[in-house]
Amino acid sequence: MKKLLNNWIVQVLLFLSVLALTALSTSIIQDIIPPYLLMIGLFIGINLIMALGLNLITGVTGQLSLGHAAFMSIGAYASAIATVNYDLPFLIGVLIGGLAAGLIGIIIGFPTLRLTGDYLAIATLGFAEIVRVQFTNMKITNGAIGFLGIEGSTTFPIVMTIVVLTICCMVWIENSRNGRAMLAIREDEIASSAVGINTTLYKIQAFAIGSFCAGVGGALFAHTTTFIQPTDFGFLKSVDILSIVVLGGLGSIPGTIIGAIVLTSAPEILRPLANYRMIVYGLLLVVIMIFRPYGLLGGVNLRQAVRRALMIPKKKQAGRGE
Amino acid sequence: MFRKKSKALVAMSIIMSALIMVSGCGASKPAATPTGDAESKEPIKIGFLGAKTGDVAIYGLNTLKGLNMAVEELNKEGVLGRQIQLVEEDNAGQKDQAINITNKLISQDKVVAIVGDPTTGITRVAGTIANSKKTVIMSAGSTGPDVVEIGPYVFRDTLLDTIAAPATMKYVIEEKGWKNVALITSKNNDYSVGLSKIFSKSIVDNGGKVVIEEFIQDKDTDFSGQITKIKAANPDVIVFSGYYTEGALIMKKAREVGIKAVMVGGDGLQGDDLMKIGGADVEGSISYAGFSPEQPTPDTEKFINAFKAKYNNELPDLFAAQGYDALMLIAKAIKEAKSADPEKFKDTLAQTKNYEGVSGTITFQEGREPIKSPVYLLEVKGGKFTLLKKVPVEVK
Repeated sequence: MKKLLNNWIVQVLLFLSVLALTALSTSIIQDIIPPYLLMIGLFIGINLIMALGLNLITGVTGQLSLGHAAFMSIGAYASAIATVNYDLPFLIGVLIGGLAAGLIGIIIGFPTLRLTGDYLAIATLGFAEIVRVQFTNMKITNGAIGFLGIEGSTTFPIVMTIVVLTICCMVWIENSRNGRAMLAIREDEIASSAVGINTTLYKIQAFAIGSFCAGVGGALFAHTTTFIQPTDFGFLKSVDILSIVVLGGLGSIPGTIIGAIVLTSAPEILRPLANYRMIVYGLLLVVIMIFRPYGLLGGVNLRQAVRRALMIPKKKQAGRGE
Repeated sequence: MFRKKSKALVAMSIIMSALIMVSGCGASKPAATPTGDAESKEPIKIGFLGAKTGDVAIYGLNTLKGLNMAVEELNKEGVLGRQIQLVEEDNAGQKDQAINITNKLISQDKVVAIVGDPTTGITRVAGTIANSKKTVIMSAGSTGPDVVEIGPYVFRDTLLDTIAAPATMKYVIEEKGWKNVALITSKNNDYSVGLSKIFSKSIVDNGGKVVIEEFIQDKDTDFSGQITKIKAANPDVIVFSGYYTEGALIMKKAREVGIKAVMVGGDGLQGDDLMKIGGADVEGSISYAGFSPEQPTPDTEKFINAFKAKYNNELPDLFAAQGYDALMLIAKAIKEAKSADPEKFKDTLAQTKNYEGVSGTITFQEGREPIKSPVYLLEVKGGKFTLLKKVPVEVK
């Protein structure tokens, strides 16, 4: 059994069948669930894709980025231009959105990733402002008035399939040689370069993949709202995504998933509270951070936790995670 | 440390996700009766879409005040023997929340019509959904382009910039004789960019001339460069299409360098901060509005008095008056169509001609774009907006 699972063909087949199963089940769910809940699910998915990207940059590699919304806007505008101005199919548009954001991520990564900590945060913040001002002044984006007439092509099955795809890729990256190098950089950059890890290379890799995810999320967002303006991608959007990652638990994929679910659905679940809604929302964030300072699932090895909960005796301790 | 807690954690996360599922599902129970049925005695549900929190909350809150007055008044007699029930939700001025709310109002609360959103951007997003779900949506605030073009269920009862701006320019150029115009646009403000296009066309149409065009950005505070160039061009009037804060700062600088010309602008200049920041420097500034509580018609006077009685002597503003009119227009269409089915009353609504609302006379043209009369020209006098002239608009 174990030998079979290690075969890459079996792995790929397994992966493809999971994707197909997701697409199939979500398209059935789509017809059953009322549109209101479906829409919330869709936004959870979009936020999750972007948050997983940021989790790789900030959670796994430890580089604080405050410019995630900028990559989201690049993906949104690039895909919108592709599908509206050049009549390309929607999924190609999403891919173009992701690639454009990833490419800009690499270009921006070279100079800024030599910085660390607070300095990097400020640099990414500045970059996000530049992108927003640029989109405000460009003709092709229709400036401040906003980009109109985007087809509402984003559907629940598409988003969920991309979500599963992203989660699989992230798990795979984290367990790969590159992922280990990224973790090492987070824990101690000097020590990891001392043992021969090319820190700049891995940081840029993380940045490119993370921005790619943000671009894909942005493309899906643009094709959901059908109308985008530069003001949709302000600093607060970056903070929204960052709080998903921090609240879920930096570096934890299951944590990011729970973070996205909680933070995206909370404003809707709290609707009955009417005017006190956003107060309670803020309170929720504060309380979670007080009682779980490392995030909901920060520092939790989920595999071990499940095993303990189910009373399965531990076999060999594989040395992964904390 | 973490390991000891992990069992409890798994339990906690399971409980949390279960809670989320339960609360989500609990909310999803469909409303008991379809409201389209004319025989039903259930209340007719009207949704409100707007911001009650966030940057643009003031527009939403004031619209809601007008709406609540309209509900109170309509429920004295009822509509088709039924009561009107308002379902209000806060979108915090954000598109994703607006999408969720529009879906909730339509699929869960089963509203027959939605009043909102006061801003153009969100109206476009919500309008697309409402139109595809065959629910009437009436914006009581959006003035930008590409709104009613979305489809036959999308309406608005506002004074459009395409009507008000030319009327204002006609007054400025013909009656005041200010032919040489300095036009200032705020480049990162969608409202300003759109309005400047209309201003510059109507300046030329009325025989005026844009002698200099300058650009600023919202939240800028130093306009020395632009103002120096404007002084050199020696215009008769400064036309600024942006908001009041920048407008006040521009005029302060203009007076400082000795420009005598006054500022003319759109309804974006309507804000008490214009006088608070600008002081004596904004005296004489002219802007247009879709509503003024001065020189009211008898109906409007009744509305103003009732509003003051209900809300601690507060005067209704543009959004309150338009919100009130929006619901009254919808109720009138429901009564005339003898049906609360949006598919039926949307046609009656589209045929509204010369409706005497509290914010002016409203006529829907072909394609549902409203013509509102009059345009209220307001002048800053003694630190207050005072009515300068009511300019009637002709319905073609």
